[in-house]
Amino acid sequence: MSLAEKYPKEVKQILAKYPPEHKRSAVMPLLYLAQREEGYITKAAMQDIARMLDISETDVASIVGFYTLYHDKKEGKYRMQVCTDLPCALRGADEFLDNLCANLGIKVGETTPDGVITLEAVMCLAACDKAPVFQTQGPDGIKYHENMTVDKTMELIEALRKSSA
Amino acid sequence: MAKQVTLTIDGKQVTVPEGTLVADAAKMAGIDIPVFCHHPKLEPVGMCRMCLVEIGRPVRDRATGQFVMENGAPKIQFMPKLETACTNKVEEGMVVLTRSQKAVEGQKGTIEFLLTSHPLDCPICDKGGECPLQNLTVAYGPGKSRFLYDEKMHLDKQVPLGELIWLDRERCIQCARCIRFQNEIAGDPVIGFDERGRATQIVSFSDPGFDSVFSGNTTDICPVGALTTSDFRFGARPWELQAHASICTQCPVGCNTTLNTRREAKSGGRIVVKRVMPRQNEDVNEIWICDKGRFAYHYTEGKQRLTRPMIRKDGKLTRASWDAATKLAAENFQKAKKNFVILASGRLSNEDLFNLKSLAEHADGKAYIYSHMGGGELTSLVGVGEGTNFGSMGAGTTIVVVASDLYEEAPVWYLRIKQAAARGANLIVMNARETKLDRYASFTVRYAYGDEVKAVSDLAKKGKIGDTFLKSENAVILYGSDGLGVSGSAALASACAKLLHDNGFTGRPNNGLIGVWGRANDQGAWEMGFEVEEDLAKAFKGKTVYIAGADPVADDPKLAKALEGAEFVAVQDVMTTATTEIADVVLPAQAFTEREGTLTSGERRVQRFYPAVPVTGEAKADFAITSQIARHMGIVLEGTSVSAVFDILAASVKSFEGLTYARLAEVRPQWPIVGRSDLYYGGTTYENTQGMGAQLSAAAGRGEKVSIPKVEKEALVRPKEKELLAVPVTKLYDRGTTILPSELLHERIGEAKVILHPETAKSLGVEEDQKVSVSFNGVNGEAAVKLTDTISVGVALIPRSMGLAIREPVAVKVK
Ligand code: SF4
Ligand code: SF4
Ligand code: FES
Ligand code: FES
Repeated sequence: MSLAEKYPKEVKQILAKYPPEHKRSAVMPLLYLAQREEGYITKAAMQDIARMLDISETDVASIVGFYTLYHDKKEGKYRMQVCTDLPCALRGADEFLDNLCANLGIKVGETTPDGVITLEAVMCLAACDKAPVFQTQGPDGIKYHENMTVDKTMELIEALRKSSA
Repeated sequence: MAKQVTLTIDGKQVTVPEGTLVADAAKMAGIDIPVFCHHPKLEPVGMCRMCLVEIGRPVRDRATGQFVMENGAPKIQFMPKLETACTNKVEEGMVVLTRSQKAVEGQKGTIEFLLTSHPLDCPICDKGGECPLQNLTVAYGPGKSRFLYDEKMHLDKQVPLGELIWLDRERCIQCARCIRFQNEIAGDPVIGFDERGRATQIVSFSDPGFDSVFSGNTTDICPVGALTTSDFRFGARPWELQAHASICTQCPVGCNTTLNTRREAKSGGRIVVKRVMPRQNEDVNEIWICDKGRFAYHYTEGKQRLTRPMIRKDGKLTRASWDAATKLAAENFQKAKKNFVILASGRLSNEDLFNLKSLAEHADGKAYIYSHMGGGELTSLVGVGEGTNFGSMGAGTTIVVVASDLYEEAPVWYLRIKQAAARGANLIVMNARETKLDRYASFTVRYAYGDEVKAVSDLAKKGKIGDTFLKSENAVILYGSDGLGVSGSAALASACAKLLHDNGFTGRPNNGLIGVWGRANDQGAWEMGFEVEEDLAKAFKGKTVYIAGADPVADDPKLAKALEGAEFVAVQDVMTTATTEIADVVLPAQAFTEREGTLTSGERRVQRFYPAVPVTGEAKADFAITSQIARHMGIVLEGTSVSAVFDILAASVKSFEGLTYARLAEVRPQWPIVGRSDLYYGGTTYENTQGMGAQLSAAAGRGEKVSIPKVEKEALVRPKEKELLAVPVTKLYDRGTTILPSELLHERIGEAKVILHPETAKSLGVEEDQKVSVSFNGVNGEAAVKLTDTISVGVALIPRSMGLAIREPVAVKVK
């Protein structure tokens, strides 16, 4: 089913925000919509959006690829996105991430066997002074977790696991 | 003329038009500022930082706006930081330092950064030897890197973006030239960036991958070895290659090309063509060619090449001497008297066609051109002439395209016309279906198949469209054969010629009629006076036929049958075809890669091509073969020197008057400058050193009285009620003899198709991709159904040369 068939009202609302000759600008909100249910954007959804906005599929895919908040693969229920950019690195982000990996037994980019957490390293999250910092992205939206330690993080993960069970 | 601006670059005074970018201004003054992302044909983006320079601007007094003087000269203030020469426009009094210590440090730094993730696999890289990254690293790099080799980013090295273009993700320096070319120039935005930062990489999500007929050009302008063609990759090193100027023989655009050749063990010690590259001609193809031109040359080298003359003996073709073969042909031609028919195609050069036409005249025979399109004689009368150039069309010029899908039929014209529209030309696209060019049109006119003539005749009366057309300073009309046969397109040509003629759009540069022909030199044949015959089958029956460069037997079972009933058939071709198989005498011709000659493009530009590889077997040039036959008939035709034939031709055919073989080889300075080892990098396109050609005059331009034949409206076929009308259309990649031997194009060529509107398909009870039987006018065949809602209901589009012999619109049964 196409996006417009599935969410007719929301699609209409989104498209109405932009003048018809600039309808391509609706690509970002439409991608969010497409991602809401599955946690990632399917190839079919990208095709669908491309057709709706009269742009090429490659253009849509590039936008998905560029932003760390869009995903084109099914991964864990929650994405834990740790900033490892320079300012955070200076506050120990690398070490934090390494320890987290060791605790979870997975590498950066991998998902825990129970499918709850996918660990990722990302660019600046605009909270440089509160590193180590990460955001979780999941069904309940995006949440920031600042001044984190590995212990605090493991507690959070346990809680997420429980709620997912 | 644009306002001029004077500035100083590295102490040199430079005067350039206002709006010029500093990097380009420097190049005009002979100073190479190193660039990667900047390309003079693309919009500036400032992505790579290679072109960092120091820029100073004169200080102005705020109150008076005058320059502040210091020691008798304007006071110059330099910016504290380096700036990019590719994004800053020149300003009066500007001072640019490209080699100051600060600039050099900046350039060094950029190279060091770019190399942090580059694999440095130059020894096995196709670009090695013509690679700007290599060149700039040597010229501007720091020599050493402070980065850790082990921390390089590793990405996939062998990624097919489609079956024609391969990507090495590690080598990419993210300049986005390829993406910008596809967006801005080709209009096919089918490649883009995925990810970000060091992981940024090129992707294509189209189906088929990298779905653009211009894809090969990205490999020319990619400043590293990231993009390569499947045809050439790992094929040779650039420094082993010889370069020979040539002309593309695949369509009427006549793109200037360079054939790169090398002698190699792999080919048994022969010299072979390794790749086809664009050669700059800003009046024709700029620095681009399409993928058909780049990849379809393989027919010149295949096993199917004819190497020796043959004569049919006891029903079998057997080897013969040139003398015996030409004598046999001559005897039969002579015997035939008025029953002598020549069929020649636009694959031949002007000189070949001229000799054939002369032979027909001397021997009292007929000379036909093998074309599915008529009306060519009108392009000699009111065609475009001297000084016509799509590159100079803009505001004030109307370009009408009617019954043609230029993207498929003449890709580089599509590209040039799209740009003319962007410069303000008034583009009117008239077709019975949607085409890619519609997107750039000021007006699109949609008519039903069969209403072509009416649509053109009514154009001037059509309110706003008519007004803009009539008010234009200049107008050209490109007419084609989408959905039309010989008589239909001839009628359309008359209607177009009349419209142009009645409104004074002839006889001046950038005015006149252009035919979108099926072959490269159809225009030449029309100039020479060849005629087109609608019913070739009838014309062949019982006649003595001399066929050159055409394969009617494979194209149409009806013609095959007619040739069976011919008295005698002589066939001259570069390779074995279904037609040579039935011939009484076979005359092997040289491929265009093996000889010289001239071709006349659809814009009526005569251009020279040059020999690149040795002759195959005993093959001879077409004009020489014809001359040898003529000699046996007691007719003297020049048979040794191409330039001599050209001189005779220029003296006998009016539109060629005044042209000389030498004049065709003249070149003029062109912009952008594309020296191939430049540090300011225009691409691997070749510089034009061997001729930009010259245009013919048209009767209207010579001031002769022009009369346009009556428009034969009855020639057009309309779908009848409840009837499905099959119409012929042209696709870029078809099963033609000059394309099919290129195996790498097979996926793009695909199978025989019949294209329907979903509603038509529904009413016929057929589905997408279903194999159906198609029958019309005695032709029966199979084809796969393709659906599109860009065409109208009630018609079935059948691509030409794809296995179903469709010559004109005809009622069809699809089951
Ligand atoms: S593939 Fe080549 S042209 Fe395209 S972005 Fe990379 S380096 Fe530039
Ligand atoms: S546009 Fe025509 S002439 Fe130019 S390269 Fe393509 S096929 Fe050849
Ligand atoms: S660098 Fe990590 S949040 Fe800004
Ligand atoms: S930034 Fe100027 S050439 Fe790339």
